Amino acid sequence: MEVLGYFAAALTPFNLALALAGVILGTIIGALLGLSATMAVAVLVPFTFAMAPASGLIALGAIYTGAIYGGAFAAILVNTPGTPSSIATTFDGYPMAKRGDGGLAVTLATIASVCGGLIGAVSLILLAPPLANVALAFGPTEYFWLAVFGLTLISALSVGNTVKGLIGACLGLLLSAIGVAVVGGDVRYTLNSQMLLGGIDITSALIGLYCVPVIIDLVATKAPHLKVIEVEQGIRFFEALRLSMTRKFNLLRSSVIGTAVGILPGAGGSIAGLIAYSEARRTSKHPERFGTGEPDGVIATESANNATVGGGFIPTLVLGIPGTPPDAIILGALLVQGIKIGPTLFNDQADIVYTFMFGLLIATILMLPIGLILGRYAYKFIIRVPKSLLVPTVAFLTILGSFAIHSNPSDMQMMFVLGVLAWILERYGFAPSPIVLGLVLGQIAEQGFVQSYLIGNAQDAIIEMFFGRPLSMAIIAFALLTLFYPLFTSLRRRRRKAPPSEATDLVVKADKATLENYRDVPAIIFGALFIGLGVLAYMETRDLSPMGAVFPKTLSVALVLFSVMLIAFQIGRPAARKKQADPAAVKPSNIRRFATIVIMALWVALLPMVGFFVTSLAAFFCLTAVASFARPSARTIFTYMIVATAIVGTFQVLMANVLLLRMPAGLLF
Amino acid sequence: MRRLILKGILSTAVIGSTLVAGLAFTGTAAAQGYPNKAITYIIPFNAGGESDVSARFQQMVFKKIAGVDAVIQYMAGAGGAQAWSQLNSMHGDGYTIMGINLPHTVLQPMQKDVGYKTDELTPVNYFHYTPDAIFVHKDSAFKTLKDLIDHAKKNPGMVTFSGSGSNSSNNLAQVRFDELAGIKTTYVPFSGTGPAVTAILGKQTVAGFNYAPSAITHGDKMRMLAVASEKRMPAFPDVPTFRELGFDLVGGAYRGLSVPNSTPEDLRHKVSDIISKINAEPDFKKKMEDGGFVLTDITYKDMPKFMADKKKEYAALAEKLGIKKQ
Repeated sequence: MEVLGYFAAALTPFNLALALAGVILGTIIGALLGLSATMAVAVLVPFTFAMAPASGLIALGAIYTGAIYGGAFAAILVNTPGTPSSIATTFDGYPMAKRGDGGLAVTLATIASVCGGLIGAVSLILLAPPLANVALAFGPTEYFWLAVFGLTLISALSVGNTVKGLIGACLGLLLSAIGVAVVGGDVRYTLNSQMLLGGIDITSALIGLYCVPVIIDLVATKAPHLKVIEVEQGIRFFEALRLSMTRKFNLLRSSVIGTAVGILPGAGGSIAGLIAYSEARRTSKHPERFGTGEPDGVIATESANNATVGGGFIPTLVLGIPGTPPDAIILGALLVQGIKIGPTLFNDQADIVYTFMFGLLIATILMLPIGLILGRYAYKFIIRVPKSLLVPTVAFLTILGSFAIHSNPSDMQMMFVLGVLAWILERYGFAPSPIVLGLVLGQIAEQGFVQSYLIGNAQDAIIEMFFGRPLSMAIIAFALLTLFYPLFTSLRRRRRKAPPSEATDLVVKADKATLENYRDVPAIIFGALFIGLGVLAYMETRDLSPMGAVFPKTLSVALVLFSVMLIAFQIGRPAARKKQADPAAVKPSNIRRFATIVIMALWVALLPMVGFFVTSLAAFFCLTAVASFARPSARTIFTYMIVATAIVGTFQVLMANVLLLRMPAGLLF
Repeated sequence: MRRLILKGILSTAVIGSTLVAGLAFTGTAAAQGYPNKAITYIIPFNAGGESDVSARFQQMVFKKIAGVDAVIQYMAGAGGAQAWSQLNSMHGDGYTIMGINLPHTVLQPMQKDVGYKTDELTPVNYFHYTPDAIFVHKDSAFKTLKDLIDHAKKNPGMVTFSGSGSNSSNNLAQVRFDELAGIKTTYVPFSGTGPAVTAILGKQTVAGFNYAPSAITHGDKMRMLAVASEKRMPAFPDVPTFRELGFDLVGGAYRGLSVPNSTPEDLRHKVSDIISKINAEPDFKKKMEDGGFVLTDITYKDMPKFMADKKKEYAALAEKLGIKKQ
């Protein structure tokens, strides 16, 4: 067997060492906010020129798959997707961690990632050439409907709060329109500021929208960040394995979804995770548990996003069309090495390709032990480290991550502004997830729509273009199913009067606040604000080309309509009675929250002028003080100072000297 | 505890001294004996694009020519404007060079205030371009450019061209081609060369205006009908140029190097020389030509004339594209 020979070639000690180092490095980079797979792969490319092509590829593939997996750590432990691929991991991973199941969630994510990664890699080895055609079957129309399908998840994410969810989605979609439009080339919503010209970077927005609210609320009380169960439970490997086994169908389905979406060049890990999550929820016996810490949610997202790694390599290696951004860099590296991509690659340079594919497979398997070990440390670190160090460390990571994406201080400032807005909105029932969904899917939806319209218009077949293609129809059907399936099942359930099935193997307590049926005055005020925003957004589209205007125009109208609905619903309700304050609850400290916001504001404002190291160290100390609830001893203060300097210094060196990022040229350093 | 503290102090000291050493190192930059340390090469786009690939090719021979390494950094955003608007605030010591592209740096400031003006940038060498070319799927009924033009004449607007982005070189070429051939076609912008080529391969559009290097990777599935280079390209000896077929269309995306405007004249020449010497390096030349790039040698000395010509050419097309002149 020739193929087995390639497997042996992948197993040389050097290649194994590369795969191991790649996975470790990738996992750590992925776990750090903002440091993405793309960045890690880009930095590593020059080193691979000195290696044999197959070894170089194995190193790149290992780092890539590790980084996609590492994103789950941050998602579960601090509610912030380390990479966009793990957006949907936050939905259930963080609630699990909050109630004390963080170790379990990390282990589940590890098992799911390995499974997904294996299915993706095996598909790559066995079925790459035929599957590559899937990439070509997807045209602009299909991408448009795929984005719409993704948006239907909002209805599930905001049960009982649908109008607010829809408003959030409109806001996110409008945010995605900021900057220079790909289609039409219009410059939109930049308020004549250069800062907004490049649009809002999705990763920095994710960090802001999810993580800044966590930081602000973390300092408000003395309570620990995550609930710690008294008995040392560790990573609960066998429990996780049992849970995964009983959910093997979800695991398989999500991995297949991930592989398929990975093949599509315009989609990627974030969409794969969202669709797998949405399907897992639709087919679950307990859809109501999703969003409150349901293991199925973590399994679905994490298996799907790691399956996109193998899936993404399919069009990359077969067609020369990169499936994902890191694939684009790897493709560039191959070109520089003089390797010709295309169907001939599998014959002429089979040794390189197959050695690489088996290397990827091995790296995926290595992820299991590495993930369990690193996961254990990450979880222990998060629950053991005192709040006075955790808060500044996480805050520092948000700053560092949002800066590192493009070495651009304005991304960091945007991250902070969006984060504070998200914190305010979240307090009044506007969750960040619909905004994120809108932001992530907006460009795909808009480009797909305008391109379909242009092509359809040229052919005089606009209706046929949107509704006449078999693949599109299938996607539309799935979107409708997702939208109406919950309604259908609840109707059926009511007719049969069957009691809803109870918890089976894991106690999942729905932690939802009881819905108040009283008038929500802040909602009315926000509704009015959003109507104003919608009108302004509409007026701004006047000078745009028709191509650039259609999407923002539609959205501003939708925003106004939903806001009117919100106000109308609220006014119809009786006025609220005075809320009874719970005497047992600890009053959160608003002064500390405010101080945190001010410190972070100064941090992002001064960093470009003063320098990265000095500003960050100063801010770190200030946040340590804000997050300290007891007067620390001199010795503790001393330790904190050393830890702070070590953390900030290490990352300074990592960014400037290892990742070779451009640091801001401030007065100091 | 004490051991921990000691460890902390030690690591702080190590980190601190590394930082200081690093700073001292940057301070020793001198104009004489240039270059004597690694040169930072900023790419104003994401990794993986043509700017990146050509820079990586340069990087491989940089040390041999210049005696020092080139360190590639990325500063993507706003189609390059993010980086170009910051170029002049960087050190003009010859150790910071930045990729620069046409038509981007002419068209962007024309359309809106993007934080820089075309004339504020200092290109020192344009070293290659990727010519625009018309592609069709290999199963397409159009075997020659004439077939496509005849079809377009009979069916105004029906021929769809996929291309990379609005107001890009692909877009300009399509506008100019319509004008030269007396036809009307529909341009469908995609978010990059990759998706634009995918649209041709998936038969989503009738044809595509893309860059010639696409034919290297996808040559077996697409047919290149004509290419906008001056002469036939070594990699595609069978593909006619537009000029041969009677259309005066030469152009594409030009890539070069620029420096901050505070860089002294002699250093500008030196950077330009390094880039020219890399262009003359046989190994580099072969790799680039095999990759579908057309090498040019527009040095710092030739720059004023080259830029004046390009600005005139783009301004005329920009009006047709509806880009307002400010």
